[in-house]
Amino acid sequence: MINAEEKKDKIDSLVRACGVLLRMNKARPDGRKSERMYYEMLANYYTRLQSARDEGKFIAAHTVFFPTEILYAMDIVPMHTETTTWMISLFTGECADLLSAGADLGLAPEICTPHRGLAGAFAIGALPRPDVMLWSNLICDNTAKSGELLMEVNHCPGFFLDHPFQHSEDEKKYLVGELDSMIRFLEEQSGHKMDWDRLAEIVGLIDRQIELFREICELRKAVPSPFHTQGFLELLTIDYLFPGQPEAINYLETLRAELAEKVSSGQGAVSNERFRLMSFFIPPMYLMGFLERISQEYGAVSVTEPFFTYWGEGRLDPSRPLESVAEKSYMIPEMRMYGPLDDRALKSIVSCAEQYKVDGAIYYADVGCRHSCATVKLFKDTLNKIDVPMLTLDCDVVDPTITSEEEMREKLEQFFELLEDR
Amino acid sequence: MKALGIDIGSLTTKVVIMDDDGTLSLNVTPSGDEPESSARAALKGALGQIELNLDHDLYLVSTGMGSKSVSFTHQQKAITTCLARGVYYLFPSARMAIDIGAESCNVIKVNERGRINDWVNHDKCAAGTGVFLQQMAKIMQMPLEDMSRLSLNAHSVPDITSTCAVFAESEVISHVHRDPPTPKEDIVAGIYSSVVSRIMTLCKRTGIEKDVAVVGGVALNSVLVNILENELGFKVLVPDTPQIAAALGAAIIARETIEKGLGT
Repeated sequence: MINAEEKKDKIDSLVRACGVLLRMNKARPDGRKSERMYYEMLANYYTRLQSARDEGKFIAAHTVFFPTEILYAMDIVPMHTETTTWMISLFTGECADLLSAGADLGLAPEICTPHRGLAGAFAIGALPRPDVMLWSNLICDNTAKSGELLMEVNHCPGFFLDHPFQHSEDEKKYLVGELDSMIRFLEEQSGHKMDWDRLAEIVGLIDRQIELFREICELRKAVPSPFHTQGFLELLTIDYLFPGQPEAINYLETLRAELAEKVSSGQGAVSNERFRLMSFFIPPMYLMGFLERISQEYGAVSVTEPFFTYWGEGRLDPSRPLESVAEKSYMIPEMRMYGPLDDRALKSIVSCAEQYKVDGAIYYADVGCRHSCATVKLFKDTLNKIDVPMLTLDCDVVDPTITSEEEMREKLEQFFELLEDR
Repeated sequence: MKALGIDIGSLTTKVVIMDDDGTLSLNVTPSGDEPESSARAALKGALGQIELNLDHDLYLVSTGMGSKSVSFTHQQKAITTCLARGVYYLFPSARMAIDIGAESCNVIKVNERGRINDWVNHDKCAAGTGVFLQQMAKIMQMPLEDMSRLSLNAHSVPDITSTCAVFAESEVISHVHRDPPTPKEDIVAGIYSSVVSRIMTLCKRTGIEKDVAVVGGVALNSVLVNILENELGFKVLVPDTPQIAAALGAAIIARETIEKGLGT
């Protein structure tokens, strides 16, 4: 029996859920080794966060696309805020109390649920109180705005990293200056000095990590595609939580080997691949089990996610670590969506559709995400021009009151029929 | 073997029976609480018209919100797939179909082979559907048919802007009770106009493409169809029995299955 106090501690729930998933994986004869490694990494991430306060470690809560590598190089314990909310929804299904606590703070239902849930989680003590709050304008306006509130809720200082929209030399210099200021802020707050050698080492590993992402994506071009439909969330989490960490390299190398073996033996992620899909944005976490089941049932597999897994070109230079951290932030796939939408975003959609032999696309239109919903029409029109139909699924990444499994099934079945009928 | 299509909707169940030469029989009956028994009753009615019964050699394709509850169907298809086939059969020139049913509204883009290119639907709220009009008729205390006739005498059309059926109801009630009250004919014109504006929003999302066919039970309402035509700026195609379009599409799929030899 879980008592009320234990139930409130979401990190504890996450650690326990990872343990259960790990045991389930080990019990399955066909359990993927990389999946096991993934759960172990997550369990370790949250165990470290759970014990950080008792061990006198310095905790920095940070928003999405934040250069976590800097925190690792400074021996600061990171807490990726949005991912933690997703994980709570995905692994424990216990988000309702967080959203309700967010509403108690006066946050309107239209505000992005991960951010609303986060504010609620900190307010009721469901997440450890951070020593500092770090946030940036990368990549959405919710992220840019919610940092101030999270500082207030946590009664802690914070730093806003102003990320320029464009990729010119001047703007890159400005970003390096911003990163430098943030390091000084963190040094003052934590008393930890930046370990530049360690940062250089981490940058070298990130470069390797990005190469592995690219190689894995290459393998996913195979027909049938070897990686399961929601697998891209693992890749995303690796980049979000473990940039330049040796365990991330081990995981990616293991996954790459597993996928290569499947490709060479002609084995797909689904037993009978019928529909190769492109996915936009994040599916509802609470429906992941259902989405995997329907993927198997209909032979529909996500083979590419242009704004999550399709990394841009470029290499990182460990001898110039801070410049490389800045450079990496421009290489991440989501950057094509950042700021005014230019040709890069639309070109990458068309290029991915062709390279990955896509039959259709699914757009998870998160109702609280103005950033993603604003591009529905543009993406749909772009895909229609190359005769690729797109299904828009109105949903929310963590709030189950927006759409039900039944509703989702009905729309997906209609879409699969449309694809089959063509 | 006869090809049967059945569309089990929330208010009515529609059946179409076809053979190689075309439609043999059609039947529209009210849906009961149990989709299975509603389906059996509707099928018996349609088969009875051509002196057949459920023991004959039949191939059945079902669609509509109750289709998953029917145990004796051979194939289930999505309503959008069936609508596209049905509309294309009725009007080969149609590239867009607007289906206004009891509880949902679908807008479908149909290609030159009668297949769907795209669709959007309005399924979060009853505003913009047949049930909404029924509810409004109740508030206006008049039969739906009278409401349509009355709207033709409207002098002005008040805005009923709520996108939620319940809030729209409150807006209508406030028009009824204001001092002086908004004339009834104006209110009903406002109700129809609000339904059309919701349909137009869906049409614009897919992009409007001629010819446009309007099907579903609400297409029987000529006043609403006229307002829709004014908004679109051109005439639309409405079949004689618009409510059977999806059942017809299901029957066509059943017939194709039989022709391919897969129905045995």
